[in-house]
Amino acid sequence: MKLYIVIVLAFLVFVGQQVHATEDVVKFDSTKQEETYRELLLELRCPKCQNQNIADSNAVVAKDMRQKTLELVKQGQKKEEVIDYMVNRYGQFAHYKPPVNIATSMLWLLPAVFIVFAIVMLRRRSLKSNAQNQTSVASETLDADLEQLLDSNSPENKEQNGDKGA
Amino acid sequence: MTKKLSVSILPLIVFILLLGFLLKGLFSDPRERDSALINKPMPEFSLPDLMDESIKHTAQSLTQSPVLINVWGTWCTTCKYELPFLTKLSEEYGVKIVGIYYDQNHAPEFGQYADIPAIRVEVKEMLQRLGNPYQYNILDLDRTLSLNLGVTGAPETFLIDADGTIRVHHMGDVNERVWRDKLAPVWNEMN
Repeated sequence: MKLYIVIVLAFLVFVGQQVHATEDVVKFDSTKQEETYRELLLELRCPKCQNQNIADSNAVVAKDMRQKTLELVKQGQKKEEVIDYMVNRYGQFAHYKPPVNIATSMLWLLPAVFIVFAIVMLRRRSLKSNAQNQTSVASETLDADLEQLLDSNSPENKEQNGDKGA
Repeated sequence: MTKKLSVSILPLIVFILLLGFLLKGLFSDPRERDSALINKPMPEFSLPDLMDESIKHTAQSLTQSPVLINVWGTWCTTCKYELPFLTKLSEEYGVKIVGIYYDQNHAPEFGQYADIPAIRVEVKEMLQRLGNPYQYNILDLDRTLSLNLGVTGAPETFLIDADGTIRVHHMGDVNERVWRDKLAPVWNEMN
């Protein structure tokens, strides 16, 4: 039992050291730099892979980009400067937040255009059906007149009329 | 009447446009993308020759005449398949081909170092067996030149004109079809 406890303790100490070692691999001058580095790892996209950021990917190019990002951040470069550095080499593909241009603005504008178009169409349609309702009201009075006319010309009435006439 | 007709065929038009868009996506290569380096100058570098560390290559020495740069490594399977064709290009068409040797394992920050003598042996053996298109190979051990060239892996191929301007950046292997459709027109224009 004692031996068991010793083994567990030794294991815990060993694991503790391991965790400590992995935490200390990268050292930054300031927390601000560390924050920038972490943000960049999530925002930069691995150019070899389809949908992984460079923190996620194990591709050689992603490793190299992580290393370069670290180097540039430690030099004191701003987040935008590092992004520009990568975009100048790997194109906009390497950044998960593409800039607003004609092609990308379409993604925002087209749904809005569609909604406006749909509203206009619905409004026109409801106006049309309103107009139809109005004409149907008019036809109701017309129908009443017609009914009267038909009634007066019905065989019964005719008979009556005939009787009267006779 | 014509107005009504145009409104009623509008969904059909939208459908056909969508169909065309999706059909195009079906046959496009998702790895194909525009390089950020087209019409930009060759990045500056000073790197040793793969076979002899005392020889240094620079952007100036590389781009004295139009050159085809091929990024490759013995670990890369696709590179093996393009070696015979590249050799044919260099021997039959006189294309000046220079290799950038891209090693995957070298990562000093993680304590991994490439075994250069072993790489030399592998390279010699492979070029003897499959053909040697290279005038020389630049050893880009820490892959800084590759990073500056926007290289995502191997094989990748560049055409650089005599002014040192990057004209073509091709990702993937060079074969008969790629050469005919993509590289040859620019190469002929450069020469």
